Amino acid sequence: MRYIYLLLTVLLFSCDPQWRDNSSFMAYEPIYISKEEANSIGPRAARQTLAPGKIYAYGNYLFQVEQHQGIHIIDNSVPQQAHKISFLNVPAASELAVKDGFLYTNNLDDLVVFDISDINSPRLVNRMENAFPEISQDYPPVNGAYFKCVDPSKGVVVGWEEKLVENPKCRR
Amino acid sequence: MQTLKPAFMRKLLPIIAIIFFLGCDKSVSTDSSAYATGGGKGGSLARFTVVGDYLYTVDKQTLKVFDISDPSKPSLKRSVDAGFEIETIFPFKDKLFLGSTSVVYIFSIDDPSNPQKLSEAISPTVIRRCDPVVAKDNVAYATLRTNGPCGGTTSILAVYDITDIKNPVQKNSLPVGEPYGLGYVDNTLYVCDRRYGISVYDISKPYNPVFIKGVTADSNPNFIDVVPYNNVLVCWTSTGIILYDISARQNPTLIKQIS
Repeated sequence: MRYIYLLLTVLLFSCDPQWRDNSSFMAYEPIYISKEEANSIGPRAARQTLAPGKIYAYGNYLFQVEQHQGIHIIDNSVPQQAHKISFLNVPAASELAVKDGFLYTNNLDDLVVFDISDINSPRLVNRMENAFPEISQDYPPVNGAYFKCVDPSKGVVVGWEEKLVENPKCRR
Repeated sequence: MQTLKPAFMRKLLPIIAIIFFLGCDKSVSTDSSAYATGGGKGGSLARFTVVGDYLYTVDKQTLKVFDISDPSKPSLKRSVDAGFEIETIFPFKDKLFLGSTSVVYIFSIDDPSNPQKLSEAISPTVIRRCDPVVAKDNVAYATLRTNGPCGGTTSILAVYDITDIKNPVQKNSLPVGEPYGLGYVDNTLYVCDRRYGISVYDISKPYNPVFIKGVTADSNPNFIDVVPYNNVLVCWTSTGIILYDISARQNPTLIKQIS
């Protein structure tokens, strides 16, 4: 019987993460990229879509965000033969819009503008720093969540992943 | 995939899209009027949108207005305190619809550089958290997703009379699975129903949507958002993009998967 109480106690305590020192539970862990990577922006070879994000249609082209990494550029002039042209590397990108041959997206919390009038060689033409401080990834997307504290020496946080985390010390 | 799923499951991104039909004006009813101004067309989950010479963005509490009359040189015109937990922005004619976790904020852009809040059209008591919304003419369609922490027992497609935009009245509701983004062409409404695919509705009688069919793909991806674009339905799925031919509006046929 004693063991049952013990078991119950353990179960009860295990429900509240605050009591679970040095144990693992579902919490948020930052996704880092290096500082060099964060500044590495521009066209790259087409690549596979792994974390599909937002979509946008403009003229004969389609765009799809690769979450936290950039934008797939797709030739859709003949939908039956739609294919990727290239990948626009924009670390931490999550949004995009296009007007008159210019593509607007976010490089973490900066607004950046690409000239895509030559779709084969997008050119970064402007950057407005810190335009979207609210997109900043200092904290996970959910209030009250436990998370692994951010370690700036590991780079720049571009997003958060919910996973089993060992003894997450931060909460917000 | 791995980052997409937790982001959606946990945060339960309350998606709000508002789409208005242009009534009998067929000439512009099948595509975004914004395209005519040199901009493209985004999905119902967008946080960026271009209307005329302005780029509007939302981030949590703030609606930002960038003048892009010189498109290579955006200049920040204004930051407007818009509301709370804003997730999406959707333009229609001279209005912006901002979707938040609990309410739809409607702004007039009569003066495009200076958006004015008109109303909080749909009250949180009518449409709860985690609710994508769509509208047509005098009708709004809301998909109420009730999984996770948002409460409720069934997800529905709700139909509201928005003749008085400040006082929507629920007219109808239909059961759906796990709805995300949505879009329309003419009298056909496409609702992303996550793992169940796309639900196609006939909305010729706007207050009485008729479910026509469900469409999915062999790979069984999750469907997250749609951009109807000319005769193609561009779908954001968990595998990338899937294109459907919607020349026959109610019968999407697979064109191509891009992943």
